[in-house]
Amino acid sequence: MVSGARFRRMAGLYREYWRINVLTSLEYRANFLLWAAFTLVYHGSAVAALYIMLGEFPSMNGWTFRDMAFLYGLWMVAHALHNTFFSNVDGIAERIHEGDFDRVLIRPVDALFQIIATPGQIFPDELILALLYFAFATAYSGVRVDAAFVLLVPLVVAGGALIDLGINLAIATLGFWFIKVDALRWLVLQLEQEFTRYPVAIYSRGVRLLLTFVVPFAFMNYYPAAYFLHKGDNLFSLPPAVGLLAPLIGIVFVLLAYAFWRVGLSRYQGVGH
Amino acid sequence: MIVRRRRFRLEPYVEFAKRAIAREATYRFDVFTELTSVAIRIYLLRTVWVALYAHNAEPRGLPLHAIVTYSAVALLMGLILDRDQTRALYDRLHDGSIATDFMKPISVPLSFFADGTGEVLFHALLVVPALCLALLFVHIDVPSLVVLAAFALSFFLGYSVGFLLNFILNCTAFWTFENSAVQLIVTWLTDLLGGQLVPLVFFPAALAGVVDVLPFAAMFSTPLLIYVGIIGPGRYLEVMGFQLVWIVVLGAIATLMWRAGAKRVVVQGG
Repeated sequence: MVSGARFRRMAGLYREYWRINVLTSLEYRANFLLWAAFTLVYHGSAVAALYIMLGEFPSMNGWTFRDMAFLYGLWMVAHALHNTFFSNVDGIAERIHEGDFDRVLIRPVDALFQIIATPGQIFPDELILALLYFAFATAYSGVRVDAAFVLLVPLVVAGGALIDLGINLAIATLGFWFIKVDALRWLVLQLEQEFTRYPVAIYSRGVRLLLTFVVPFAFMNYYPAAYFLHKGDNLFSLPPAVGLLAPLIGIVFVLLAYAFWRVGLSRYQGVGH
Repeated sequence: MIVRRRRFRLEPYVEFAKRAIAREATYRFDVFTELTSVAIRIYLLRTVWVALYAHNAEPRGLPLHAIVTYSAVALLMGLILDRDQTRALYDRLHDGSIATDFMKPISVPLSFFADGTGEVLFHALLVVPALCLALLFVHIDVPSLVVLAAFALSFFLGYSVGFLLNFILNCTAFWTFENSAVQLIVTWLTDLLGGQLVPLVFFPAALAGVVDVLPFAAMFSTPLLIYVGIIGPGRYLEVMGFQLVWIVVLGAIATLMWRAGAKRVVVQGG
């Protein structure tokens, strides 16, 4: 267990990590602006494609463009949270493969914490964009914003970010046994990015099962959105409130992934470079 | 520097292309990922279109089987068109090795073209297994031979537009240090504004106006609309004429940039 003094030390290191991140980003200003522009184009073109499709066809399984704008917003905030705070996890397998991981093990701080807090050029531009877009999409979709909504949305997106983290950590941990996990990571990322844009009800049974129970990306946005927008999709005869389980599923997934990570770590003997 | 004009020989460039094919073939995992990824996308787009067509009126001239064909062919074309075949130029400008290329008795732009062609030829081979995978999920309409021939020609013109666009972007490395973000932005814009994701005929008027003045439609949309028959034989000359205009315009820009850039390298002395 993490003791009080150790926790304070980690908090200090983490603050320092963010300070370096922001300073680095400000140093390479032109580069930062270009990457911010890329983030804008990336999410902009995804939403534009939905807008064009649902301009020609008024609805998809009862979901209009307004509904799907909200669906995308929920995923975007959760994913941006993951990208902002945990994106270093995605690079673990490569670090193991390159032999660079050994350096992490000789320092007197928890390995996973070090990985997450390795300074790069991480700047919360995507998160800021996501929050702005989500505010817009919420108003645009006409979803009822009451006390319950304000209370539940942060829990749901935090849960979504944890689901994202859990799955990515599990894949990264496979890097202890397999050299090439990039291919798998890439395919799962595609599943996440492209399949969460549409209501899960349109997919065949196998894909619905996959997105609900195996890699539960559907809990990042589809189930919660169906609950907030009062869609009667009723997949697998689950009650609508199942969408509110996102935080719980997120926590369980991260704990399982962390246990798996500990197993991988204890068996790790270096790649023998 | 005295440069004696040599008689043009094709062999070195064939060798460059062969080397590129061998290089690409060594990344077996990437090939596996690429094929699976195309198959997943084809499944996704088919599902999306089926859902959209199920509860709405059919749009003008594009029945469900035509739009599914359109999407599948578009994704297979992406195997070839989404490649940045002149990335080597950027890399060699970045690490400075371009300086030694200028000393070799070859045409440098042609060597990049040959290398890029080899890379693309390898990925063109991947269309065959990708097509087999695709046929597990979808039925792809096959048009008449005349239409297929027009499609092939228009596809080649579209490929040339894409090649020149990539070449121009990589030429910017003569002046800037970092252009990966710009490259990605252009790739994303190409997929949307070129009509790979959603046919341009569905675009609202305002966006359609933007698309008309950009070169991206010449890459994906024109050959695809020929394939599914929205562009009939009566308009072949007109649309391919447009593609040619883009090739001329982009070719001129590429030539100017290359000349200006190459001069810079000599002036700086590497």
